[in-house]
Amino acid sequence: MDSTHIEERPHKKRRFFREDSSPVVQSIQRLSPPPASPAPSNGAATSPIDIPSDGEADKNGASSDGFDVSLLYAVVGELPPSTVQQLKHQSGNDVQRAINIYLDGSWNTAPSPAPAPLRQPALQTTIANGLIRRDSEMSNASTPGSGASTPLNPVLKAMPAKRYIGSFGAIGWATRSGTGLIRHEEKVGIERTKAREPTGKRRIVNNKKQDIVVRFTNQRGEEVGRLENESAGWVSSLIDQKVCSFEGSCVYAPERLRTSETVYLQLRCYLLRSAFDKKKFVKPDNNRDVNLFEEKESQDEKDLRLRQVALVKLFDAINLHPSRLNESTDKHKRQGLLQAAESAEKKEQKTKAKNGSAAEPGSSPPSDEAEDGEELEQDQLDSLYKKAQSFDFNTPVMAPASTFAMDLRKYQKQALHWMVGKEKDEALDHKETSMHPLWEEYGWPTLDADNMPVPAVDDQDMFYVNPYSGELSLEFPRQEQNCLGGILADEMGLGKTIEMLSLIHTHRTEVPADTSAVTLNSLPRLAKNSASVERAPYTTLVVAPMSLLAQWASEAEKASKGGTLKVMVYYGPEKSANLQKLCCTTNAANAPNVIITSYGVILSEFNQVAALDGNRGSHGGLFSLDYFRIILDEAHFIKNRQSKTAKACYELIATHRWVLTGTPIVNRLEDLFSLVRFLKVEPWSNFSFWKTFITVPFESKDFIRALDVVQTVLEPLVLRRTKDMKTPDGEALVPLPPRIIDIEKVELSRDERDVYDYIYLRAKRVFSANAEAGTLLKSYTTIFAQILRLRQSCCHPFLTRHKSLVADEEDAALASDLANGLADDMDLSSLIERFSSDGEQDINKFGAHVLKQIQDEADAECPICSEEPMADQAVTGCWHSACKDCLLNYINHQRDKGNIPLCFNCREPINARDIFEVVRHDHIVEEETTAPAASQTPRVSLRRIGLSGSAKTQALLTHLKNIRRADRSMKSVVFSQFTSFLDLIEPALTRDHIPFLRFDGTMSQKARAAVLTEFTNSAKPYVLLLSLRAGGVGLNLTCAKRVFMMDPWWSFAVEAQAIDRVHRMGQDGEVRVVRFVVAGSIEEKMLRIQDRKKFIASSLGMMSEDEKRVQRIEDIKELLS
Amino acid sequence: MTTPKRIIKETERLVAEKVPGISAVPHDDNVRYFDVKIDGPSQSPYEGGVFNLELFLPDDYPMTPPKIRFLTKIYHPNIDRLGRICLDVLKSNWSPALQIRTILLSIQALLGAPNPDDPLANDVAQKWKEDEKAAIETARQWTQQHAKA
Repeated sequence: MDSTHIEERPHKKRRFFREDSSPVVQSIQRLSPPPASPAPSNGAATSPIDIPSDGEADKNGASSDGFDVSLLYAVVGELPPSTVQQLKHQSGNDVQRAINIYLDGSWNTAPSPAPAPLRQPALQTTIANGLIRRDSEMSNASTPGSGASTPLNPVLKAMPAKRYIGSFGAIGWATRSGTGLIRHEEKVGIERTKAREPTGKRRIVNNKKQDIVVRFTNQRGEEVGRLENESAGWVSSLIDQKVCSFEGSCVYAPERLRTSETVYLQLRCYLLRSAFDKKKFVKPDNNRDVNLFEEKESQDEKDLRLRQVALVKLFDAINLHPSRLNESTDKHKRQGLLQAAESAEKKEQKTKAKNGSAAEPGSSPPSDEAEDGEELEQDQLDSLYKKAQSFDFNTPVMAPASTFAMDLRKYQKQALHWMVGKEKDEALDHKETSMHPLWEEYGWPTLDADNMPVPAVDDQDMFYVNPYSGELSLEFPRQEQNCLGGILADEMGLGKTIEMLSLIHTHRTEVPADTSAVTLNSLPRLAKNSASVERAPYTTLVVAPMSLLAQWASEAEKASKGGTLKVMVYYGPEKSANLQKLCCTTNAANAPNVIITSYGVILSEFNQVAALDGNRGSHGGLFSLDYFRIILDEAHFIKNRQSKTAKACYELIATHRWVLTGTPIVNRLEDLFSLVRFLKVEPWSNFSFWKTFITVPFESKDFIRALDVVQTVLEPLVLRRTKDMKTPDGEALVPLPPRIIDIEKVELSRDERDVYDYIYLRAKRVFSANAEAGTLLKSYTTIFAQILRLRQSCCHPFLTRHKSLVADEEDAALASDLANGLADDMDLSSLIERFSSDGEQDINKFGAHVLKQIQDEADAECPICSEEPMADQAVTGCWHSACKDCLLNYINHQRDKGNIPLCFNCREPINARDIFEVVRHDHIVEEETTAPAASQTPRVSLRRIGLSGSAKTQALLTHLKNIRRADRSMKSVVFSQFTSFLDLIEPALTRDHIPFLRFDGTMSQKARAAVLTEFTNSAKPYVLLLSLRAGGVGLNLTCAKRVFMMDPWWSFAVEAQAIDRVHRMGQDGEVRVVRFVVAGSIEEKMLRIQDRKKFIASSLGMMSEDEKRVQRIEDIKELLS
Repeated sequence: MTTPKRIIKETERLVAEKVPGISAVPHDDNVRYFDVKIDGPSQSPYEGGVFNLELFLPDDYPMTPPKIRFLTKIYHPNIDRLGRICLDVLKSNWSPALQIRTILLSIQALLGAPNPDDPLANDVAQKWKEDEKAAIETARQWTQQHAKA
């Protein structure tokens, strides 16, 4: 082994601190036996110098040459005289310097009174760096920790470079053989080094994981062996991360050592001072781009995890127990911590194994590491919310301040009460200081393993460990201010904005009444841009998506009595203002009460501030203020904790923090973490803690436990009401206009039925074949595909076939019809013309006459049902008119009786194919550009029935046309889960001149927005075609009053959500919903399954994927029964 | 079940636009059940008689024809002892375009023009063919006997 290696290795990690005591300390033990470590270690009689040190040092107390030994002792503890001499020499009789030299360990290596060892500036912590200052988690966002100006933490200074905390037995293997390599009680050096590549295989195996090899050497510095893996795993992390140093002695070794023979060691562990220097653990890493796979564990997080595990294992090994810890965190056992860390490791291994490369051990995290948040299933989400939203309707209400100009509903007043309560909940602040819930207190041991006293350090009886971050501290970790805010998660449409505005009005910092003081200070004076953050006690910062800025501003305006609320939109050109000057305490009279800005602005200013080395004050922007309150609207914007926007938001400073979102959890539990992190809810804002008790149990399928924990997190934090909540008197929270849902049974035409039956039989055959063979679960997908086909055939037979094929067929049919002289869509006028031109034949004359009549008496009564005018006038081949349905019914009726269908009027035999629909174009809304001298008679055309679409499209068109006749401005919304079905509906609408818009997942965000604006703002009675998936969530379509659901989905909840796009706050009229269901088909059965699911949805709770499949198979069985 | 529009309209029209010699009044408790009176057509053996019939509109009316039966005894080759009527438009020639009114007119016409070649009451038809005068006389007597108001 070569010593240069030792010196070099740690240098890799030295990024900001030149001093680095650990390697040096290690070298002490090896190279220079006599002046042992500062804490007279090694109670074993091996180092005789240690023992008398006590007395001698005392006598040396006041030395004559101005070197104040007692001061030295007071700071670093007592030292052997030789050490003192050496220090004295090296420091040039300067006690201060001597202390420093001693503390950084350089005294022992530096041969001469070396250049002042740079310790002073280096140790200065950079805690004051504004951007980092409140971080409890490692901040990835901070700027490079340039050594700033704060002096060295005195407590840290008082701590010796390392301090004994315990010892434990360990086992090592010899890596060499020989005699007398190591003796009983021989001192052993423990070191981390990648020595020469030892023999082959095992090494490679280890490489796959991580280099954890810890070697031990004998007194001559020769390598003897290495620690066995169990302990090496954590010992290596502790050494690597400069938390501990170890020294050992041999307990037992065979006289004649052979390779891989066991050596028993006693290891003494010292906590290094560097471990207590917080900055050690902050690895600023601002160059990192936002990671696409943001859920994967970052390198920082990985280091943290290793450190955390190592510490837990260490304390376990040395049997050190906390003297004080937080009750609530105690409940979650440390076991959980280890489990969590291990599972992360396993996962990593797995991914690595998958990657199939054993190349670079632990150097870079594998790029496609699995996402660490599994997606939540809808039902899990539901049950989670259900628990969180047990809203007590008897909670007291609070009337908003008199300056608030709007009326609040009762539940909104209750929200106000709750919010004000949360903001004023300062009880915790005034309690006697309690320990931070994440930390544990430990006493420094006073005796070592051999019951020899360990020197104490004044005022340092305790140290503190945060097992979740792996942080160590000498200072009492005070519980920080409790979160004075929360999550307002009322469902969309319940008026979160209004509730928040009422809070802004009701709970505000009073402007001092002392007017003279105000006038004196009326000129906001802020001599220079101070580097510090200015308080803005009158200002609430609202962060919202850009598109909502204007809405916020106008709502704020509307909700306030004139002049009671100064609102400022901080966006674009307005940003030039110096916020610090504007909002500071002295400018109370003019400070804006509300600043509204966007996430984009936050991000860009964050980057600017970061570029200024975190100097918030000089930037003078959003980050230079300590707000009274911050509100994040649509807070799921920051659901990704690693996104820059989220990180930027974490850095905003305020007394009260609120997030508004209708969906606190979008699809991962981690989504919630980001909110909690923003709110700074301890202990949950620590990701490691979160991961330990939520993510890991959840991933290991311990759903109940994980969700229980989430619930305890949420409960005090979240207020959530849903629209369908009812007050105890059974009234809805928000009375919405009625919503009428009709299920319309659609009869398939004969041809469609044939297609359906064919597919049905095939599906059934596949199913029963698989059921017999017992391969249902395996062929699940195949069967499911069959079911899908079946459902599609209910919508339109074309859906089940290939598209180009369909086009061909359509053309072919068209061609043959043209050949027969009957185009499918004949313009009636031209038809009449044709008949008139060859007027010699009586039949044609008659025909022409009737057709004219069709046109003239379009409002005639149906001879069959007496409807007047006819609903969808249709004519037979002999030109007799009736309602389309009546006519088709009659034909079917006759067929069913086995008769040849005859005309109801002239008793001519008729063919169902020769039924024509009379398409009147009078429902078309006049375009502005209509030619003034248009023909007097409404344009009419005939279209053959049966080819114009499926039963469902027909039914839809009938409805749409009726709507059009009844109310020319009525807008409608059509949902289908098959975009290809929408594709087929489109031409039908075009043909009937019904204006429509399309919205689906394939469209760009911009196009979607354009469609929505057009739909909302246009006066045209648009029909909006939406795919259930893309349009089911979030949209506001209250301008429509009619909803058509073309096909049922497996759970009605999804459909209901889509319907709620129209039936939500802002809807001022009755909403009618038609759900089309094909009679006597799989769709009817799906409705039954829906009903059942509604019933058991809650108890379904947490099913595993397999259980769900079994459940689905059951469903399918029912479907095909 | 709601009454179909067609039935409502027909009923209204039967009242509003009366057909001479024919009346049809629905029951209060059943809009599909009508009491029908038909005057015997002039210059027929049934002249001067008022014939009571019952008329019922089945559920699938107008896909299927109404069910009609004479309650008053009548001597007619196309009407049997139970009052059942043999008339093509009530059977195979029914069309939904026909209505109560048109059917009743057809029945009235049937009284004026018996058709012994398509009989329902065979004995009556036989008589009619063998001795039309005697048959008509019998019909007149029956009318006097049974159909006097």
